[in-house]
Amino acid sequence: MPALRELQRQFARGMWSPSESGTIEAWIEGDAIAEADRLSIYRNTMTGVITNAMRLTYPVVERLVGAKFFAGAVGIFMAANLPRSAYLNAYGADFAAFLAGFTPAASLPYLPDVAALEWAVAGAAAADDAPALDARDLAGFDPIALEALRLIPHPSLRLVRLTTPADTIWRILTAGDEAELAGITLATEPFTVILHRRTEGIALRRLSELECAVTEPILQGRPLGEALMAGGGIDAVALLAEHLASGRFTRTA
Amino acid sequence: MALLTPSGAAPGPIPAAAGIGLRFQHHRAVIETRPDIAWFEVHIENYMGGGKPLEQLETIRRDYALSLHGVGLSLGSADGLDADHLERVRRLTLRFQPGLVSEHLSWSVSAGQYLADLLPLPLTEEALDVVCDNVERVQERLKRWILVENPSSYLRFRHSTIPEWEFLAAVAARTGCGILCDVNNIFVSASNHGWDASRYLAALPAGAVGEIHLAGHSLRDLGQGRTIRIDDHGSPVIPAVWRLYREALAHFGALPTLIEWDTDVPPLDTLTDEAQKAEAILDAFRVPQVHARAS
Repeated sequence: MPALRELQRQFARGMWSPSESGTIEAWIEGDAIAEADRLSIYRNTMTGVITNAMRLTYPVVERLVGAKFFAGAVGIFMAANLPRSAYLNAYGADFAAFLAGFTPAASLPYLPDVAALEWAVAGAAAADDAPALDARDLAGFDPIALEALRLIPHPSLRLVRLTTPADTIWRILTAGDEAELAGITLATEPFTVILHRRTEGIALRRLSELECAVTEPILQGRPLGEALMAGGGIDAVALLAEHLASGRFTRTA
Repeated sequence: MALLTPSGAAPGPIPAAAGIGLRFQHHRAVIETRPDIAWFEVHIENYMGGGKPLEQLETIRRDYALSLHGVGLSLGSADGLDADHLERVRRLTLRFQPGLVSEHLSWSVSAGQYLADLLPLPLTEEALDVVCDNVERVQERLKRWILVENPSSYLRFRHSTIPEWEFLAAVAARTGCGILCDVNNIFVSASNHGWDASRYLAALPAGAVGEIHLAGHSLRDLGQGRTIRIDDHGSPVIPAVWRLYREALAHFGALPTLIEWDTDVPPLDTLTDEAQKAEAILDAFRVPQVHARAS
């Protein structure tokens, strides 16, 4: 008679790998319905629940490849990336990297970028709530104090580096206008997208290289004065004003 | 077994009436139409994090009694509970002050892997100790009692020694937790394992049962005359389960009763119709309230 811990280890092995389910099957009551068939009911539910969670996180990837291809890819992905928690919103972080090395998807070079963007969007949608910092919160600071100030990004804020127009593809498919896909030029210089959650949904925009040079140090907690100097010729103060007006930073509690 | 009453004006205890399992796709309809439903139950795991779902649930919570139902605590894990997950559950119970909190007599985590289903336990003295330890830890952390639900199951272990109904009763007796009696699950498991569903019901300690679940299930054909019932929550409650529900109410009295529907979720009206069927049956089992007033 196995101890409970050992039984659960063997059950997990049998769930992930039908060829390794011999030990657990020997502990299951069998009758007209074989032990393996009984176990497979649980396996099917498990893969179904995880696939469904991935479908909710990566709806545009699924639209691009079709439901059947998506389920197959997720099946291979999950076997190598077991969920660590019942909080399945947090599952699937490495799917973009997986797709980048997934040969059957090689004909869609933008797919890993779309997945990376969807991971950021899903993370932003589920991030903790926090009150937005606005320009009035900074009104009381004198110029020297302002330069030394370090801002806290809103928990939903994400920067995503892309090498294909995945943001355009994401927008088109999220709006349901598949026909527009044909007009996209895939060749593009690498660029950065900044996104965060607003009341009306996820707000997403491209940052130029110089805008990025200002924004990244702010996100890294560098003093404002230092960050604003990094922008070369651009109007860094106007960019900061836009960040604040858009709710990309938060007040401390 | 007194229910903890939430602070503030939001409805508190879950009434002995029919509620429905609330899913995201119905949030807006509930907020806009305020349907005549006594209470809602949600899956705790769907509200971890922040954003729109939580904001909407808070709006709904202001007008409706709420029960939080977990699928991820893994009360049967020999490794013990995932402290991070328990903390997420604790934060949500503090935020929403639910009338009831419930989980399952099952396990889903081993060696830090989440197996994404409510898996069956061997019903042994060792497993009973494990479940009781974990239930006690949850109740200490949440500072409230919880309900533990009987699962649907599709397999049994050869070395099980305790009937499921005795196991549940023992967990309740040893930890002080309540029982969430899922009548559909009793029907499904009894049918799959050749148990007597009426005997199962009769063996549960009536005073410990705090809620009833009802749902639809499907009958899967495995060929060669073999079938198995699958608890997929994707269809109306079947007549045989409604009959078993009447039996349950005869044993336990009128109790909060939840209609669950998670697969192919229908329009809200379909769910409120199912809830009204439960309500009509509940009516017959409600003890008339005697109001003693000074004036």
